[in-house]
Amino acid sequence: MLTISQTAEIIGVSIQTLRRWDDSGKLRSVRKKETGNRYYRRDDVEKFIKSNPKNLFGLAKKWTASKSEEDLPSAFYCQDISVFQARLSRLERDLGEIKRLNKIFPLISAITGEIGNNSFDHNLGNWPDIPGVFFAYDLSQGKIILADRGQGVLTTLKKVKPKLSNHQNALEVAFTEIISGRAPEYRGNGLKFVRNIIAANEISLFFQTGDAQLKIAKKNYNLKVEKSNVYIQGCLALIKF
Amino acid sequence: MIIYLKKFGTTLNGRQFGRESFAAFGPSLKDIGEEENIVVDFEGVITFTPSWGDEFLGPLFDRFGERLVLKNTKNPSVQASLEMLEEIYKKKFKKKVSGTLEKDT
Repeated sequence: MLTISQTAEIIGVSIQTLRRWDDSGKLRSVRKKETGNRYYRRDDVEKFIKSNPKNLFGLAKKWTASKSEEDLPSAFYCQDISVFQARLSRLERDLGEIKRLNKIFPLISAITGEIGNNSFDHNLGNWPDIPGVFFAYDLSQGKIILADRGQGVLTTLKKVKPKLSNHQNALEVAFTEIISGRAPEYRGNGLKFVRNIIAANEISLFFQTGDAQLKIAKKNYNLKVEKSNVYIQGCLALIKF
Repeated sequence: MIIYLKKFGTTLNGRQFGRESFAAFGPSLKDIGEEENIVVDFEGVITFTPSWGDEFLGPLFDRFGERLVLKNTKNPSVQASLEMLEEIYKKKFKKKVSGTLEKDT
């Protein structure tokens, strides 16, 4: 069982809102006594989040920006690559059923796969605290959200580009410079691939690592890297289509 | 020899999965004749990414070079990933188009 404050943290609303929802029946609590403290079943909270996906991005951002290790609803948490892979196949199937995405759904699924796979490849054995990725999507709104609490782009890219000194430069390099050859590390041209796909299609991207964020508008090759007010531990991505 | 990629799955993503797929197929490569082509058939593949492709096609390309031929590459994620790999490798894959063998330029 979760306390009301834990539930408020997970859903990303205030305790007052939860009390109101309890009274209105939107999300019922469980009480030992009629006037006792409100508790929430983990299953109920997860079901609620799944059926009210409006704030998935906020949930992911809060998770990766938090200084402490927070629990994620299991529906969105992929602790290893095999779970991620299985859910990616489900996404592929779900996208394939949307008529307007008929021609581009393999591309959406491919960039989602590359971003998620990057998280695992660059952090395997080196996760600072919680291993794995947040992976959720809301197809009615055309959104896919991925996040991790890994080392971030700067730390991983420094292994091949030791002169990189800040998150903004690292983010720019990750999306623009092709790293040729297979040494010194099997690594990343995945984000360049993502950029190429967006440049040619009706897909947009927001991506953040550390205190650097970028936006790529649909059918646009230009990058806009900015400093973010909120620092996040690993990476956070929002794909819209 | 023809390698049907759909036998590895329809969602071909990730370095780990790519490496595992190549390792699983590796022993079959020892039967290839000295002049035989290696045809990789993408028919049935839905999602294909550069990370999987790099781990699977990369070693094949290194070993067989011009004898590696790709077939049924129309899927947009296959096309985009192959373009990306060509940029990284700085060389073009040979592709089989409509029954004829053409070098993609």
